[in-house]
Amino acid sequence: MVTLEKIAHLAEECRFDSMGPAASPAVLGVDAEKLSTLGEGTRHDVCASTFSPRETPLPGICHAFTQDGRCVTLFKTLYTNHCTHQCSYCTNSVNCSSKARAFSYTPEELAKITLSLYRSNYIEGLFLSSGAGRDEDRIMDKIVETARLLRQKFAFSGYIHLKILPGSARAHIQEAVELADRVSINLEAVSASHMNEMCATKNYESDILQRQRYIRDILSKASSANLPAGQTTQLVVGAAGESDEDIFERVLYEYKEIGVRRAYYSAFSPQRGTPFENRKSQPLWREHRLYQMDWLFRVYHFQPGEIRHAFNENGYLCNADPKMAIARVFMDLPLDPNTAEFRELLRVPGIGPRSAQRIVAFRKRQPIAVKAELAAMGVRIKRAAPFLKINGWRDTTLEMWQA
Amino acid sequence: MKIPEDFIYYLSLHEDCNERLLARAEGLTAGDVEVSQHLEVARIKKMVYAVMGEVHRMKAFVRLSFLGTSVLYGFFKPRHKIGEHICDHFARRNAGIIVVLGNGRESWISIFREDRIWQDHCQGLSETLERLKSALHCSEDGSNVEGLWQVYYDSQYCPERKNLVAFRRYMPRRDQEAAGIRLVQNKKNATLGEFLGESEGCTEK
Repeated sequence: MVTLEKIAHLAEECRFDSMGPAASPAVLGVDAEKLSTLGEGTRHDVCASTFSPRETPLPGICHAFTQDGRCVTLFKTLYTNHCTHQCSYCTNSVNCSSKARAFSYTPEELAKITLSLYRSNYIEGLFLSSGAGRDEDRIMDKIVETARLLRQKFAFSGYIHLKILPGSARAHIQEAVELADRVSINLEAVSASHMNEMCATKNYESDILQRQRYIRDILSKASSANLPAGQTTQLVVGAAGESDEDIFERVLYEYKEIGVRRAYYSAFSPQRGTPFENRKSQPLWREHRLYQMDWLFRVYHFQPGEIRHAFNENGYLCNADPKMAIARVFMDLPLDPNTAEFRELLRVPGIGPRSAQRIVAFRKRQPIAVKAELAAMGVRIKRAAPFLKINGWRDTTLEMWQA
Repeated sequence: MKIPEDFIYYLSLHEDCNERLLARAEGLTAGDVEVSQHLEVARIKKMVYAVMGEVHRMKAFVRLSFLGTSVLYGFFKPRHKIGEHICDHFARRNAGIIVVLGNGRESWISIFREDRIWQDHCQGLSETLERLKSALHCSEDGSNVEGLWQVYYDSQYCPERKNLVAFRRYMPRRDQEAAGIRLVQNKKNATLGEFLGESEGCTEK
């Protein structure tokens, strides 16, 4: 412990060795309508975590939640809402009849707002996307300049997620990769034909997939310090009539061939004034089931062949846990938690990676004798019991066949 | 959450921790605490989780304001003895700037400089801030970061996804009060009912 006066003296001394020339940058006079409009432009973009496995990892912290239950952890904004693309689902596209006024930030302005919000502990960093403007390369240049200002001028050590605009130059992508924790380019659709239906001005192969390959190739040659949180992507679910199985096949390609860290799903909801205004909105449970399917592949390491059993004959997931549907097909015999391997435990509905680890650790000390012990380890007994037998005793299997 | 290797540190920060519990925990490993179903060990585990949970939420929810250019301060009234820990966290995040957290009764003050933390534990927050004002000859910062944040926060809400149950689960009112915040969507247009957290007319999921 030191005295307050000593601490004040230390602060006076280190005016010259703290975070650069704008330790407390003034952000006076920001247009509230601009802030709101450009913020609204990213409402449907998802970035669920700010965890970044740097040398000293950045934690994933949610600083607030909106009343829709989603976290607000980054300053998520568009650089500009001016866009020349004709995406039929988007309120910023040229063919939207109720477009908001066009706004744009300057890199300096954006950097100062980000730093102020970060210093005051409202956010963990910046998520910067944009409309394409008249020229996507000019806008990408501004996006990169914003990130460079933050990192180099303001010595900003928070999280930065940059969106790569479709059709961006490889040189801009290279710079973005060097400055950001994560970059992403939204797939939006599952195939070129679906993309044509959603947006006639984007070429699926050259504007999107090829840019993803650029990122993959740059990363393969870059040092491990570059882009610690990797590349991600996002799809609009249900805007162009694609099935869940179509989405799954595309996502498999993304994980295996492009090496995306993860895919995000956003259920389509029609926006006023857009050509898709009268299309049916997609239920949020569809998005939720797709995330469950995604976790089965990424976290639980289910094989694609197993996951395909969760789709119905039309290629859709039903509104039930896909893990349960797969367990009903593959788990003919009940599993003894005292002898099952870790990967077998993971296949039981109601048992996740953490509870499976606890089961393995617990049984090294003493055998599992009753269900209550499993419940204390975090197992959801109601779901798991029909697939387990403890000491040769098994619950009724009736629950197995319930929805 | 996973029980960390240094769980005894978190246990020692619990408001109800005592010498006997610490002595009991000395003989345990993180793995023991994670899976043991012994009543007392389960209690230790619950206490460690409680402290870790509050630490995490305070790192997320405490808001800081500038006093001059070299002081950041915020209201903070934790249940457990985590004042120093949280203050150090914000000092490391804002190197070279004095961070003061506190409430009417006590305050914590830290600065991180040259890879070292300097800290003090003082009287109430306003008294500490007055002392800093006179020591540094500074005054309140003029920028309205809270106003900026409120506009941005409102812009992120998707009404078609309204889910107040999730909102309340992730942002418990108890933790909002401990961090001195009160999150209300569209604050300018909010009704009294919404401010009080009532769900009339809302489609909860």
